[in-house]
Amino acid sequence: MTKDRYRRQALVRELGQNGQDMLATKHVVVIGGGGLGSNSANLMVRMGIGSIDIIDYDSVELSNLHRTSVFSEEDLGKSKALVLQEKLQKVNMNVRAKAINQRVTSENIRAFVSDADVIIDGTDSVPLRLLINEESIRHNIPWVYAGVYETVGMVMGILPKNTPCFQCITQNIPKSTMKEIPVLGSLPATIASIQCNEAIKILLGRHPKGLIIYDVWNQCFDSMNIQRNPSCITCGRK
Amino acid sequence: MNIVKINVTVYGRYKNIAGNQTIQLDITDGNTLRDVIDVFVKQYPMTKKDKSRMIVTKNKMYSSYDTMITEEDEVSIAPPVVSGG
Ligand SMILES: [Zn+2]
Repeated sequence: MTKDRYRRQALVRELGQNGQDMLATKHVVVIGGGGLGSNSANLMVRMGIGSIDIIDYDSVELSNLHRTSVFSEEDLGKSKALVLQEKLQKVNMNVRAKAINQRVTSENIRAFVSDADVIIDGTDSVPLRLLINEESIRHNIPWVYAGVYETVGMVMGILPKNTPCFQCITQNIPKSTMKEIPVLGSLPATIASIQCNEAIKILLGRHPKGLIIYDVWNQCFDSMNIQRNPSCITCGRK
Repeated sequence: MNIVKINVTVYGRYKNIAGNQTIQLDITDGNTLRDVIDVFVKQYPMTKKDKSRMIVTKNKMYSSYDTMITEEDEVSIAPPVVSGG
């Protein structure tokens, strides 16, 4: 039955049955279960990852529904992580899905990500991403940054000490004062799909390349070649 | 007047705004990436709101606006890193 489930995906030459079997041995941690995280968790479970932890402290709000997947009106007020676990587990009983209904901090992040083969960024803040980045570099755990704003999404697979890290490309960002980030409803699903492509490739041993920039309104899809910054305060070659 | 010609590769919607992925900017004042950004924004005013937050690389290396450049350097400019989720 498991073989039948993934039959069409295993036919993909780049993956094959070996790749599919390999995915089933991998553990993914999704930090944030909103627009990006819910869509990415949904895809990873359907594609046959071995196990997935979904970490989010918030509950489902009406204003989340336009850009998330999986959630419905009956979930309003419930824990995002728990709803995702419950519903996604029903999608694929071969995957071990676990909800972690906690806020990620510098004190607890290590415990959450220590077993991860890849971390998927479903957060909506730069400071939290910098925390994930530091942990990733310190403990050699790949992660895939993704972010959205209005009609623009960005994705970058980060392989510690191989590719640029998040700090390498964000040194001069001023602190955001924006309370609510505007987002086209279809954008997080689009960007989460690209994020999952990068995550799957990393899990199967491919090296990610550059910063992907997709402006869906202007039909611009770019991959910007950025190299590691030797003086990066997080990953620099000291 | 000393004009420094800088080849710039632009990404995302800047490509639409500039009408091309590669452009050449004439820098008449100064020799840092900030001066390149100033000319870029002046030439393409629709990019102005991003001015202080653009992703800028010199020879593919993310660089601060104060980084010095010469005509031999390859500069890239992209819209700011996005952080929503
Ligand atoms: Zn770095």
